[in-house]
Amino acid sequence: MSWLTIIFLAPVLGVILILLTPAENKTAIRRLAAAATSVSLVVAVGLLFLFDRDAGGFQFVQKVAWVPSIGISWHVGVDGISLVLVLLTAFIIFTGVFVSFSIEQRVKEFYIMLLTLVTGVFGVFITLDLFWFYFFYELSVIPMYLLIGVWGSTNKEYATMKLTLYLTFGAVIALVAILALYVMAADLTGTYTFDLLELGAIAFPQNTQILLFLPVLIGFGILVPMWPFHSWSPGGHAAAPSAASMLHAGVLMKLGAYGIIRVGIVLLPEGAKAWMPLVAVLCMANILYGGYVAMTRRDMKFMVGYSSSSHMGYVLLGMASLNIIAFTGAVLLMFAHGIMTGLAFALVGWIYEQSHTRLLPEHSGRYGYDSANARDPSQAKYPELSGLAPQLPFIGGCFVATGMASAGLPGFANFVSELMIIVGAFSVYPVQAVLAVFGVVVTAVYYLRAIRAVLFGPVNPAWGKLRDARLITERLPYVVLILVLLIVGFYPSLLVDVIHTGSVAVMEKVAQGATIVVQERP
Amino acid sequence: MMTGVALLWAELAVGLLALAVLCMDFVAPRLDKPVLGYVSVLGLAAVLADLVQRAGRVGGLGFSGMYVLDAYAVFFKALFVLTAILVLLMTLEYADRLERGQGEFYAFILLATTGMMLLSSASNFITAFLSLELLAITSYILAGYLRGHPKSVEAGMKFFVIGGVSTGTLLYGISFVYGATGSVDFKDVAATILNRESTDPALVLGMVLVLVGVFFKIAAVPFHVWIPDVYEGAPTPVAAFLSVGSKAAGFALLIRVLLEPMLAMKSSWSVVVAVLAAVTLCFGNLAAIPQRNIKRLLGYSSIGQAGYLLVGVAAANELGIGSVLFYLLAYLLSNLMAFFVVVIVSNTTASDEIDDYAGLWRRSPLLAAALTIGLLSLAGVPPLACFFGKFIILGAAVQEGLIWLAAVGAVNIVISLYYYLLVVKRLYLWEATDPRPLPVTLVARWTLAASTAGVVFIGVYPSPFLEWSLAAARVFF
Repeated sequence: MSWLTIIFLAPVLGVILILLTPAENKTAIRRLAAAATSVSLVVAVGLLFLFDRDAGGFQFVQKVAWVPSIGISWHVGVDGISLVLVLLTAFIIFTGVFVSFSIEQRVKEFYIMLLTLVTGVFGVFITLDLFWFYFFYELSVIPMYLLIGVWGSTNKEYATMKLTLYLTFGAVIALVAILALYVMAADLTGTYTFDLLELGAIAFPQNTQILLFLPVLIGFGILVPMWPFHSWSPGGHAAAPSAASMLHAGVLMKLGAYGIIRVGIVLLPEGAKAWMPLVAVLCMANILYGGYVAMTRRDMKFMVGYSSSSHMGYVLLGMASLNIIAFTGAVLLMFAHGIMTGLAFALVGWIYEQSHTRLLPEHSGRYGYDSANARDPSQAKYPELSGLAPQLPFIGGCFVATGMASAGLPGFANFVSELMIIVGAFSVYPVQAVLAVFGVVVTAVYYLRAIRAVLFGPVNPAWGKLRDARLITERLPYVVLILVLLIVGFYPSLLVDVIHTGSVAVMEKVAQGATIVVQERP
Repeated sequence: MMTGVALLWAELAVGLLALAVLCMDFVAPRLDKPVLGYVSVLGLAAVLADLVQRAGRVGGLGFSGMYVLDAYAVFFKALFVLTAILVLLMTLEYADRLERGQGEFYAFILLATTGMMLLSSASNFITAFLSLELLAITSYILAGYLRGHPKSVEAGMKFFVIGGVSTGTLLYGISFVYGATGSVDFKDVAATILNRESTDPALVLGMVLVLVGVFFKIAAVPFHVWIPDVYEGAPTPVAAFLSVGSKAAGFALLIRVLLEPMLAMKSSWSVVVAVLAAVTLCFGNLAAIPQRNIKRLLGYSSIGQAGYLLVGVAAANELGIGSVLFYLLAYLLSNLMAFFVVVIVSNTTASDEIDDYAGLWRRSPLLAAALTIGLLSLAGVPPLACFFGKFIILGAAVQEGLIWLAAVGAVNIVISLYYYLLVVKRLYLWEATDPRPLPVTLVARWTLAASTAGVVFIGVYPSPFLEWSLAAARVFF
């Protein structure tokens, strides 16, 4: 029994126990959810220290035959890249459970959906079998439909249907490529297998690799969200309840990038080399277009949502550069951005719950057409958010820290990762690297404006009744997340050494373009 | 090796049970009619247990080659018996709405099941035709059972007319095949075609007509027109029975006809079936989107599901046929679960309109969850049963080089998800106009719980069921 299976089973056990708890007993349900996610978190942090940085390869491996007639097995293991992502998921769901304590409607169903969703996400990151990869990838899409549709806000029915259908569409595009890979591998070796390690050892013909990489890129890229397949994202983020947004922007979007790495770059390296220049161009649209649109949003959740798309552009740039520094930076940014965006959505969610509005005040700038405004007039009738800092000192402080982190202030993990990406990308795509630096400025603009307008503007007496985070359960999530960003920011080798072992293996595969056997450790 | 009448033990058991139910019906007063239903269920459960237990150990050819008992036939017999059990449990919920003839209803379901079981063992065109007729005629009666309701009578009439045309086409085709080859036995026809040097136009015409007759049964596009009206009008348990049993029976025959007598013509029919699959998929799923009546929606959805099954048939390799059989099992549980909930809800609300399902989560969390799991399984969402079925069907298509067909199937997953989510939206996102709790009987609770467990278990641990399906498919390879 691998530790990874325990991380995976903890939320499953949580779901089963919550199913058996009567719906009226909200406290018990919340405690069960917190307990389940804390188990996953403790084990994940433990694995971070147990991981043998010198050996590298896949560790904590477990393999059990599942459907032998077609070559499916329960094969789990993590390398440096997936371990960090498992850790990210564990942090986000743990804090997300606490952030969701304020939900009072249909608590039981909420936590069942949330824990089912996180089961799917853990499954994707720990699995080394292509069938289970797709299984958990699709499993992660449906609970979102209910999470946003029932507990969401702005325009939730439209947003959730669009999100679910768009992401499923991406998944099925990748499915056709996965099946083609499976059949082609069987033609080449004679055995039918979905095992990622065995498939990784096969040298597919170059033309096939180039052909198959495109559906993999587009299918998984839709979840990243790679421009131009991003239109599901802003509406979805704005509509989702806080914990769902945290999970979605913090973790689910990383599933897409991870899919491109595990299925695309590792299995089809020639295809990666052929298509990455295109990715390097598209990610610019993410970074700059996403950033510019974020600057014109008046609804803070839309702003943070577009900011997420924008930062995923940096991840794509790091991946597209296909060298060690940029790639490692990309994975580190996946972690850092996930934590930071979880923070941002949690904070905006706090303000929204108290004040029922997320709109930046009119006087703080010129705004573009905000579909949220048009379709959620209920927000427009609330008084303007302004000068909240004296009323919400803790939340305000966290918000400032989040803004600084997002803009890449040294001391936070985002700085390290963005620096690595830009340095790594400069040698391959100098133009993009330079433009990416401007993206940092753009991020600073919209975050600083939001901070100035909402926290430090003239105090609006209408907000005298707002509550700050006081209880331990209310402050815990923000403290944990900021601490993580600071610790990794000041001592990045904690994670970088781990990621490095994984990136080295991936880059070797790309360099050879053919057979490389990745180490397995029981 | 078994011979003679012993081969027919399962059909005889079910048929005799039907006659016993009919006899008991004469003496049972109106209040005791449900007992007949329970007796049928118990009898069928015994047959199913026996079939499953004997699965690997029986075989034989009987009645001068007219009847064959192989792993494929046993698999389908088990499937049909399971369908009948669930439909009978559904009927017990529905029974108060059958104004007359409750006892005969159970007997008709049992007789139809006998017909289906015979069909899965047919190795001869005449046996196939006979069993098909037994199934068809009982189905017409069942569809028009509510004599006082114009919609049911209309459904029965439409079904009878279109069914009659399709049976006539089938028989016409069989006559051409007999004329061209001199035999109605599947193996003999296969040997004759293999030995022939040129393709006889009469033979081709005969085969096409036979296939058209079968396509009516499985409701492939463009032979699907009877489905929406018949499903909407017929009593809901009958619609459920048709959507699963009749369809599975059609596929049992289709696969046998394509892979035994018509094996030599594979290069011709493979393309036709593939195109038909694509058209059926697209039409069925797109036409389901605007539906406002849940039975019509499930009807069009079943057309779409037939499209997936046809993809597996078009692939026609071991994984292809095995995946069709696996998918039929998964589809059986998911679809019957959905219809079960429809029966229970319409008992209280007297409506089959989708909008009247709004807020079901509040009125009955169990029903809402069961319906959601059934529909999401049909949509192909993991960790539910039909996900694995779709996965391996598309895998089989890719194996045979039908990547375009796999892509069509994949895109239709998204389209079908849309209309299934439209129902789920009403169940969970909308509020009920009448928030009073919906009563659910104990038998219904247990059945839904068992079906849910089955759907999830098959989805998460499909291996034993896949092994069984592949063993059944290996009969042809």
